[in-house]
Amino acid sequence: MPFLDPYTAVLDTRAAAHLLRRATFGPTQAEITQFTGLTASQAVNNLISNAVATPPPPVEMDETAPNPGQTFLDKPFNGDRNFQFGMFIKYWWMGLMTQQNTPPSLLDKLTLFWQNHFVTTRETVDDYRFVDRYLRLLRTNALGNFRTFVTAITKDPAMLRYLNGNENEALNPNENYGRELQELFTCGAFDLTGAKNYTEDDVKTAARVLTGWKYTNFWTVGSTSFATTFDPTKHDTANKTFSAKHNNTVITGRTGATAGDLELDDLVTMLLNHPQTAKFICRKLYRWYVNPNVTTDIETNVIVPLATFFASAGNNWAIQPVVVKLLNSQIFFDESNRGAIVKSPAELLIGSVRFFNQPVPTIATDYVAFRKLFEFVHYRMQNLQMNTLDQPTVFGFEPYFQTGYTKNWMNTTTVALRNDFTDALIWRWYEVKPGYNLGIDLLAWATSLQPDFANIKSTTNPTGTDPISCEQVLDAFLINLFTTDLFQSQKNFLIDTIMMQLIPRTSWTFEWNAYRANPTDSYRRNVPTWRLQNLMRYMLRMAEYHVF
Amino acid sequence: MNRRNFLAAASAYTLPVMLNGFELKAMTGQSALVQSLLASGAVQDSLVSDRVLVIVYLNGGNDGLNTVIPVDQYATYQGLRSNIALPQNTLLTLDGTSTMAFHPSMTGMRDLYNSGRLTVLNSVSYPNPDQSHFRSTDIWMTAADANVNLTTGWSGRYLEDRYPGYPVGYPNTQMEDPLAIQIGYLTSTALLGSQQSMGIAINDPQSFYELVGAGGDVSPSDVPGGDAGSLITFIRRQQALAVGYAGEIKIAFDAGKNLATYAADSVHNYLSDQLKIVARLIHGGLKTKIFFVSMGGFDTHSGQILYDDPRIGPHADLLGKLSAALWSFQEDLRLQGTQDRVVGMTFSDFGRRANSNASQGTDHGVAAPQFMFGTAMKHRTIGQNANLSDLIVSYGNNKDIKMQIDFRRIYADVLNDWFGAGRPKTNSLLLNNFPTLSIFSDVCETVASGAWTDPATWTVGRVPTPTENIRVNAGHVVTLAQNTIVRSVKLYGKIAYSPGVSLRVTG
Repeated sequence: MPFLDPYTAVLDTRAAAHLLRRATFGPTQAEITQFTGLTASQAVNNLISNAVATPPPPVEMDETAPNPGQTFLDKPFNGDRNFQFGMFIKYWWMGLMTQQNTPPSLLDKLTLFWQNHFVTTRETVDDYRFVDRYLRLLRTNALGNFRTFVTAITKDPAMLRYLNGNENEALNPNENYGRELQELFTCGAFDLTGAKNYTEDDVKTAARVLTGWKYTNFWTVGSTSFATTFDPTKHDTANKTFSAKHNNTVITGRTGATAGDLELDDLVTMLLNHPQTAKFICRKLYRWYVNPNVTTDIETNVIVPLATFFASAGNNWAIQPVVVKLLNSQIFFDESNRGAIVKSPAELLIGSVRFFNQPVPTIATDYVAFRKLFEFVHYRMQNLQMNTLDQPTVFGFEPYFQTGYTKNWMNTTTVALRNDFTDALIWRWYEVKPGYNLGIDLLAWATSLQPDFANIKSTTNPTGTDPISCEQVLDAFLINLFTTDLFQSQKNFLIDTIMMQLIPRTSWTFEWNAYRANPTDSYRRNVPTWRLQNLMRYMLRMAEYHVF
Repeated sequence: MNRRNFLAAASAYTLPVMLNGFELKAMTGQSALVQSLLASGAVQDSLVSDRVLVIVYLNGGNDGLNTVIPVDQYATYQGLRSNIALPQNTLLTLDGTSTMAFHPSMTGMRDLYNSGRLTVLNSVSYPNPDQSHFRSTDIWMTAADANVNLTTGWSGRYLEDRYPGYPVGYPNTQMEDPLAIQIGYLTSTALLGSQQSMGIAINDPQSFYELVGAGGDVSPSDVPGGDAGSLITFIRRQQALAVGYAGEIKIAFDAGKNLATYAADSVHNYLSDQLKIVARLIHGGLKTKIFFVSMGGFDTHSGQILYDDPRIGPHADLLGKLSAALWSFQEDLRLQGTQDRVVGMTFSDFGRRANSNASQGTDHGVAAPQFMFGTAMKHRTIGQNANLSDLIVSYGNNKDIKMQIDFRRIYADVLNDWFGAGRPKTNSLLLNNFPTLSIFSDVCETVASGAWTDPATWTVGRVPTPTENIRVNAGHVVTLAQNTIVRSVKLYGKIAYSPGVSLRVTG
């Protein structure tokens, strides 16, 4: 079986939809159409070149505060608004994931990958400016160089806070970052034979290398800047000797203002030289983009060669070529990997908002509506165990590391809460702003399928146009909705049991024509609306809608 | 409508839900599964009796040395962690011991201890301890050796053994309720069976029922192939379980009552909130065997105290909430009259380092005390105080507390004595023969030959007190070198007396 060989066929609709579902938070119908007919290589290049590296900043979204619609990041630190500004940063990022007025890009999905890899949280970091800088660091390095990325994140003020790097001092090391840097960020805890990739002493030794880093102006009300600093007097200047797991590397102790950077460079070099590091990252990318189930076959034929490429002299830890290679590969497009991941709350909620063309209000001018939309999405995602920028632990969201992987998104409680969200799209009770209730106008959708709407065929008008059938409505609703095809038995069930409630299908044609004849009459509208709501509500509750 | 009648009526809802999606052979009384359960006597065994286990997970690794303080070694304790050491005069003393005391915020647990409803198990860990949160928690939840990876949880294996085939055919008339419930949104590794979790997660029984409802029509069971198909099947089962259990849980929730006072909402004691639900479900007659609750925040690498005052700050708050929650829960059970059929146990990733760091925090360590709560335990203390003069010294002069009790010995007593699984089954579920701690037995037994005064001689991990019963097991020789008093003696092995030494039995 070919694995990392390029997928050379022109993308059909299903392949285009598959790529977009995995590389973004879920496509619109229009995006699938745009990507159909491209080669995989063209499509992936578009997803990269469409990336907007520096989007407009988050803004004040409280209409009662001064300067709504303007950014708060260029103003002195405001402790009273710390929590709210942190939330606005979350909404702003979710807005980038959701927006449909720019061409689709893979940047935000990849940024989330890295945010879930190099975890820090708004709650623990607790200074909105730190959170903003951290998030921008992730965005700008997401496709960059892994060596640069690891080095930069180690010194990032948010990370120094989150894993206590600022409290790590000579003679009194705080081991928190030194451990996670190895266990979670680079080599991982174990190799595939179950052997430890580092020793407990290596944790302590790494902590000593990292002594002396600080940040300034945390939570300093009125301060206009903050920075990472290095205090040579708090740095452990002795030589640091690692175990055989790290090839008995000795990092020479340095003194003075450059000691921190010089030793950090040595440490990152040592960690990248660990034979497990490239594989650990590539395995995680494979699970994120292709399939959480990594078989021995996949390990041998995908993970190992991809990791070799990642760490090769020619590539030298560049991330973008690795992502491109993976998304372009035959294994990525293989039928067996389609539908092989359970949708995360982001893919379910943001994906649904995008798929059903729910517009994102303009952040700078329509900030209240923008906030309302993402309050709704955010708190539901939080209940579904995906609190954006606030992972429960440094391991990230549980379904990305725990046995069972993305199956962990689904349990009896989340089943209920997912239903509650998809039902909201049907009943349309949540007002984003006057005239815009979140949800799907199913009657308008079906009406758009009806050619020659007002010209109803009848015995007195034999040249009129036939009504659209139940089957046509179902087929239209099904376009790109699910990853897998439904069986005919399921389609019959959806029409006969759910849509028609076990009365003959011909009843639909009478009801539909009655609506065509009298489209403003509420009773004539309600009958087909009720059937369409039953149908779509059921379809969005189906298991098929929750895999991608 | 009583629960039995409800079940008969509810089957009208639940049966079609189960039938359409999946194999249905287990659903009827004639089915092979139900017949085999009846034939095997499962109906009479303790699983279908009413004993309940509550597992409390303290997420992050609790600092045991600031939880249970060995006051007999106060100066050493103070020297190890002078920047966070609790002043001796602030500690909570305990009835019957002058060597051990509690953190000042643990008044509820102190009262439970003094009334015989809380047991302290000292220095719990496992051989070759791991200091990764993830790995160590996994070891606790799977009950694996430190060098072995298991993908099933210890309590999940137990439930799967007793309820083979779950979730196919559940709920049914033999077990109409969830086997295990985790209050929250996710199910833990501890409840994992070989195929999936043996438990279900519910956050709030009331809203759960409203969201799930009584179910409805279920689509034909056709499934595409491959990984997509197995995920779709998995999701359909979760949906069916949700529908199948929603009604049962709501009925128990509506029928049950909380009779004790729990922390007010404004306190944000989430453990208390969770245990309040558990108590109400137990009182309402839910037959669920295992409840899993948790509280986070124990990873106190820095700033575990506030304003340089060790009595206050994040760790004090955590222990205060834990203590208040356990007290309310245990009082609730007492007032309900359910306390004799419920036991609880705490666990945490690991203990924290004996010496503190410069950030007024503690890094990842090894052994720590754990607790059991309820009325069924026969000893208030298992094991003895950590010996702070005999620590594991590592690189950088860091010091960790040595293990006295392998946590799997606690599991063994829970499975064997509390759930009545029997020794062979217990050993096979835990993949080893772990000796009893006599948690549920009022007899201190020998685990090996040795000196009477050697804690390792006894199941309880310490020397028996004059009010305890002892048993010298067959093949063991205990050497007694000083006059000693006990309540009773059963001698299957031998006691070797030094000249002139006597053993007095008070009866």
